[in-house]
Amino acid sequence: MDKYPRGSLDHNLPLLVVSGLSTGPTKPLLTDPDLREQGVLIRSEIPPVESREAKTILQYVQETDATHLPWHSRDVSRKHKFKIRTIGREFLLPPRNARLPDEFETPLSPPVLHSPFSPLSPGSTLYPDGLIDTRWLEKHQDLIPSVCLCFYSLTSDSSLATLHDNQLKTDINALKNALSQSGHKCRLAVVILSDQSPSSMDVFQDRLENIRKSTALDPKTSLFVLPTQRAETELESAIDSVLTALFSQATEYYRDLGRHSRKKKGRGIAPQPTIPPTSGTSHTLSLQGWNVRYDFKAAVFSEFRQEMEVAQRSYEQAYETLLGVDVMETIPSWSSRFNDARLLADIIAIRILRCFLWTGQSTAAVRRWRAHRLRMADFIDRRGRGTQNYGWQAWEARWAETMANLIAKVDYPELDPSNQSLFRPPEKVLSAERLQPWEQLHHQGYWYRTAARHSLDRRKLAYLIPEDDRRPVGASATSPSMIKAYTSYDTYMCPEPYEEYPLNGHGTNHSLQIIEYLNFAKAEFQKRHQPRLVAEVALECSKELESIKAWQPLLELLAPLWRDMSFRAEGWWDINEAMSWALRAGAAHMGNAGLVVAIDWELLNKKFTRRPGWHYDIKRSLDHVQVDRTPEVVINDDQISSFISASFVFKQDEGRAGQTCPAQLSINSNAFAESSPVVLEEIQIDFEGSLRTIRLKHQANSKSVTSSAKNVYVTTIPLVETEISTDDASDEEDSDEDSNEDDSDDASQPPQSVILEGESDLSLLPGHTRVFEMNLPLREAGNARASAVQVSVAPETFTLKYTMKVRETNTVGSWYTIDGRKKITRVNPQSIKVLPRPPKMEIRFVNALKQYYAGEPIQVEVEMVNEEDVDANTKLDVHLYGLDVPAFKVHVTGGAVRSSVASGEEAKLNGMPVGTISQSQSEKATITVDPVNRPTAYDLTIKAWYNLVSDPGTPIVQIVAFQLNIVNPFEASYDLVPRLHDEIWPSLFDHEGVQELAGEDDGIIQPQGLAQKWCLITRFGSFAAEDLTILDLDVKVLSTHGSARCVASKNQAIPPNGLKMAPKTMEEAHFDVVAQKLSLDDRASSTADLAFSITWQRSSNCATTTNSPSMPNITTFLIDPFYVTVSEPRVLASVSYSTTSPGSPSSHPSSAPLQLLVLNVTIENPSSHFLTFGLTMEPSDAFAFSGAKTTTLNVLPLARRSITYRLLPLVRGAWIRPTLVVRDKYFQKVLKIIPTEGMKRDVEGILVWVPEEAELQSKDRMKKPQDIEGPGDPSEGNETSGNEEVEV
Amino acid sequence: MATAVPSIACLGIIGRNNKPLHTTIIPTSTDAQTGSPIPLRTPLQFSLLLSSTLDIFESRARHASSSNTLLSGDFGLLHAVDERLAAYGYETNTGVKFVVVVDMRGRMLDLSSKTGGVGAAGGGGGTGGTGVGLREGELKVVFRAMQTAYVRLLQNPFYDPDEHEGRGGKRITSRKFAQEMRRIGELWVPGSATLG
Repeated sequence: MDKYPRGSLDHNLPLLVVSGLSTGPTKPLLTDPDLREQGVLIRSEIPPVESREAKTILQYVQETDATHLPWHSRDVSRKHKFKIRTIGREFLLPPRNARLPDEFETPLSPPVLHSPFSPLSPGSTLYPDGLIDTRWLEKHQDLIPSVCLCFYSLTSDSSLATLHDNQLKTDINALKNALSQSGHKCRLAVVILSDQSPSSMDVFQDRLENIRKSTALDPKTSLFVLPTQRAETELESAIDSVLTALFSQATEYYRDLGRHSRKKKGRGIAPQPTIPPTSGTSHTLSLQGWNVRYDFKAAVFSEFRQEMEVAQRSYEQAYETLLGVDVMETIPSWSSRFNDARLLADIIAIRILRCFLWTGQSTAAVRRWRAHRLRMADFIDRRGRGTQNYGWQAWEARWAETMANLIAKVDYPELDPSNQSLFRPPEKVLSAERLQPWEQLHHQGYWYRTAARHSLDRRKLAYLIPEDDRRPVGASATSPSMIKAYTSYDTYMCPEPYEEYPLNGHGTNHSLQIIEYLNFAKAEFQKRHQPRLVAEVALECSKELESIKAWQPLLELLAPLWRDMSFRAEGWWDINEAMSWALRAGAAHMGNAGLVVAIDWELLNKKFTRRPGWHYDIKRSLDHVQVDRTPEVVINDDQISSFISASFVFKQDEGRAGQTCPAQLSINSNAFAESSPVVLEEIQIDFEGSLRTIRLKHQANSKSVTSSAKNVYVTTIPLVETEISTDDASDEEDSDEDSNEDDSDDASQPPQSVILEGESDLSLLPGHTRVFEMNLPLREAGNARASAVQVSVAPETFTLKYTMKVRETNTVGSWYTIDGRKKITRVNPQSIKVLPRPPKMEIRFVNALKQYYAGEPIQVEVEMVNEEDVDANTKLDVHLYGLDVPAFKVHVTGGAVRSSVASGEEAKLNGMPVGTISQSQSEKATITVDPVNRPTAYDLTIKAWYNLVSDPGTPIVQIVAFQLNIVNPFEASYDLVPRLHDEIWPSLFDHEGVQELAGEDDGIIQPQGLAQKWCLITRFGSFAAEDLTILDLDVKVLSTHGSARCVASKNQAIPPNGLKMAPKTMEEAHFDVVAQKLSLDDRASSTADLAFSITWQRSSNCATTTNSPSMPNITTFLIDPFYVTVSEPRVLASVSYSTTSPGSPSSHPSSAPLQLLVLNVTIENPSSHFLTFGLTMEPSDAFAFSGAKTTTLNVLPLARRSITYRLLPLVRGAWIRPTLVVRDKYFQKVLKIIPTEGMKRDVEGILVWVPEEAELQSKDRMKKPQDIEGPGDPSEGNETSGNEEVEV
Repeated sequence: MATAVPSIACLGIIGRNNKPLHTTIIPTSTDAQTGSPIPLRTPLQFSLLLSSTLDIFESRARHASSSNTLLSGDFGLLHAVDERLAAYGYETNTGVKFVVVVDMRGRMLDLSSKTGGVGAAGGGGGTGGTGVGLREGELKVVFRAMQTAYVRLLQNPFYDPDEHEGRGGKRITSRKFAQEMRRIGELWVPGSATLG
């Protein structure tokens, strides 16, 4: 918009000349020397007001100048808009009429003089047929004030009042006269400043009235009195009201002028110029031309009045007339008036646009903008030099730029950068219409961009200018091409072709224009957070910068964009590529090797399009680039996306410290197929966690590459631990030793300085995948993951280090084999869990037993064998878990003994020092657990904590657990059977014995009561898992109840070296139990508590354990109470065997000696009753007997009687059943006969065993075939005599 | 008198992470020499145009979240880059963006009834000289058709949308999808009620 004549496009504001406030020199309004000469001087004689208040007022008035306000009417609080000029006391008004030219001879009739700005005046530039120019606009905007405001002061000194007032009146009247004589209709307004306060003004009322009357000024519109003795804000509001009043005056003034224009138009005739034109054509301005002029004037005056809609109508009228058939169509294109008319059309159009924008009709404005363009294009095509030349594009660019400037001036809140929207929605009336999207007014950035695009076209067309036309005009002025050039190039507001694009030298700098437009656009996009569009504009900009070889700005423009390019992250490869190439050119020229290499590295990727003829060789990247030294370029994959991708895979997800884990690094090249192979100098793999950095170095011609399918090459690389010289080279000597060392011993050295190195051929062909398989030694426990892979390329000219992060993805890693690819199914294969170093301390249980038995102290011996390569400082933790854990003690051989305390479910002993166990030596500890009396199970856990002497910081733990199973070695069952006590019962009648003993009182009561004998049969089985040796068996009477004495005795001997018991066998033992009541009178039955104890030891372990065999264990069983004395009568049967002597008289020929069984039936009567029993013996086939077949037996109280039968068995080796019935005569009750030794009974009665003859003869102990085992009592059998009846 | 009618110049599908998934460019201009149809802009320029709409998607989303208004799928006009090309946008629930670039003078129609032309441009009427404009929401049918095609693509079990997001994602390679996009782009005229 700046390219249009100054003032032509300004918004018109009423001009207010403020006089009498400023004393300093002011810029004169009228500067044109010609007009100055004829100007009318308006002058006031009274010196300017000089007071502090006057200065304040002046400053405030100047601040209210509305020239730079935005072009909208939204600010409704403002009641007045002025363009304010302050002057001293005088100013020049332009002459009302032009002078006649000097050389002109006076005509017959007096000439009609016109304004010097009119095409009628010969001195005007418009004479004779111009339309209107900016000088007319200038006249009204800058030269002729609508209101002339004069400030005077009112003196408060009453002595000077009259004189002063008179001077004032004279001056005002003089001014009024001067103004009216000038021919201009400027209004005069006077402000009289008083130094009083408003309340005290009444005294001056008369004086003021006097002044008013004599100057004929209206106190409402043109005479104002301002008492200045008040607060500044009040003063300002007073001035505001003055200015508001003046504004309506000014409006009136411009309305008058507008009315005047319309009146002239209404006349309908074209005025004749002062002098008819004589030179050139005699063409004068047509009536339609005058109408354009009048309409334009009316429009401008409306704009002065701020009536934009009225102005717009007038402008439209002027525009239509101007472009109508009678005005522009008639102007020949060679005429200078042609371009003047175009300029006027542009100005009117811009002013129309402003009116639209002013009233908020943005969509209408865009339409109007385009309509003017189309109209002009059509017009130029028909009447001018066409639109296919640079001049038209120049105008197009300007036209777009103008719109941008207008938008900026209008300052729509919708298009403010703080607002989100990029364009203004259409007016409500239009919103339902079919709209072009562009008609929704976009912000300036878009318009600047359009301007830039047209500038590009302008350059394109300029470059098409043939050489002939580009010669300077002087060189071949007469050539025919000149004429052609004159007619075929549109030079409206742009240079001639030989200046636009001269053959020699510089013409129009198109690039600068374009860059300027683009920068404007860029700034707007930037303000509105359109980074991608900014990048796009920057890319366009860079092309221009490249064309003018402004490399440094190009670099500054693109480098930041290139670095954090969203296009790269978002995969807009084509944009990425375009930007990269643009930047590369700049970087190459500026010698920015880093960028060049980085870009080349990125562009090798084949996802970009291939640039024909490009070498695609990273080695040649810096060819033709000036660099001062070998640059080192460090980039990573956040910055650029490379053609190289790397992944790292551990074969296993777990490993142990001290072991190795196979791992694969695969590097894939996605470069252009034709590109040169990239030789990697070095690959470095960094790890997070406990793993050491791996560095692979390039070694040409190493032939370990194995080819496999699909361009995958697997290489196995041995790794060597190397200490890198971080600060000095003194460590190098050690490196050999370290690398020779096989394993883990260098753990004490700082791990940072040790890396793993390998060598291989690291050249990478496009499209290939190189897989490097390595065996990674795992050193320390913990999680480790490959974090980054850095590849370096180091040709002669530079070093490039490219770092790729190994990212945590959920993708499944691939493990390559020589045959092909094998998937690894786990995710994140780049990480490994390194478990702690396995302890090599071995803990062994020495001679541990499968079972331990209740009642024995348990000894567990532990041996710790140090199988580490160095000595180990060891401590021992012993824990015992289980229910009711007994206490235990630990004894370290040759060391301490410590005991634990039993507490509930856990007994422990921590930190038992063992001391240093030398390499491959062992140490022993014995754990002794107190005996347990019941079967149970305990967990014994032994932890050995040890530190290697070489690495005291790392504790190593070995844990061994052992289960102690404690079982009962024996189970036993018991039976108490009656026996015949063979002592004579005490007699009831032997009172002496009773008395005597009863009288004794020596503490121990000698029992006097009845004694009964029992046999306790115990059967016990071994539940142990091994042979046990029974050393002794015993029955103890723990207690008796019912005042009896009870004595148990063993009636059976154990072999001297013990009875060996195999597992799961049963043994039986018999004990005699004799119970005697203490008193004969006491006849109640009594019980006894017995305990059965087995003294035993393991028979097999004597030799191996330290548990000495001399310490037998005793297992005790408690037996349920038994009745040991009974008070009821009972019948006891006992049997004895006798044989006839070999030489006996009764001789059965050749028969075996006849055996006799003596059956004694003893009836005990412990009661105090006299009892009578009937006995009946039934005959039997199995034997013959002698004795009473039926008899009656009387038994006295507390006595017993026996009856004897002799039986002659008829069978051998069989049981015979003597059917003997004992019946209580009184109670008629059959008594049960209780068998004793050598007998048994079943439901029908007792049975007696008849042994074989041989048995009897040998007089051995009789063995019963069945479960009753008992030796017969040989002492009893001999006395049997058969004196009773013998029945056969 | 030929009247310019808008037609689709470019269809773009942009993924959730702003990755270009698919671009269809439809020639709407004619080569000056041969007269054969050519695209109005180069593919690079269309890429730049599509990517520049992302600024607007982001800014509107930001605005919507700050002012707590729910953003509907149809973004309407994103911006017009110049008098001819304007970009319209749509965002699915899953953040996939459809961008339609309309060439306002993509087709010339011989409408004998229209006599406007450049000469009558002053009135600023809807069709005066510059061709048919567009109403709000006239591209909804295009977005619907694009979404249908995209949903159909997603229903293909061999199409993994995650492959197309993230680092180094792929573009849509389905030939059927590309054909469908081209069909939509070529078929649409202002006022189309359906593109099925």
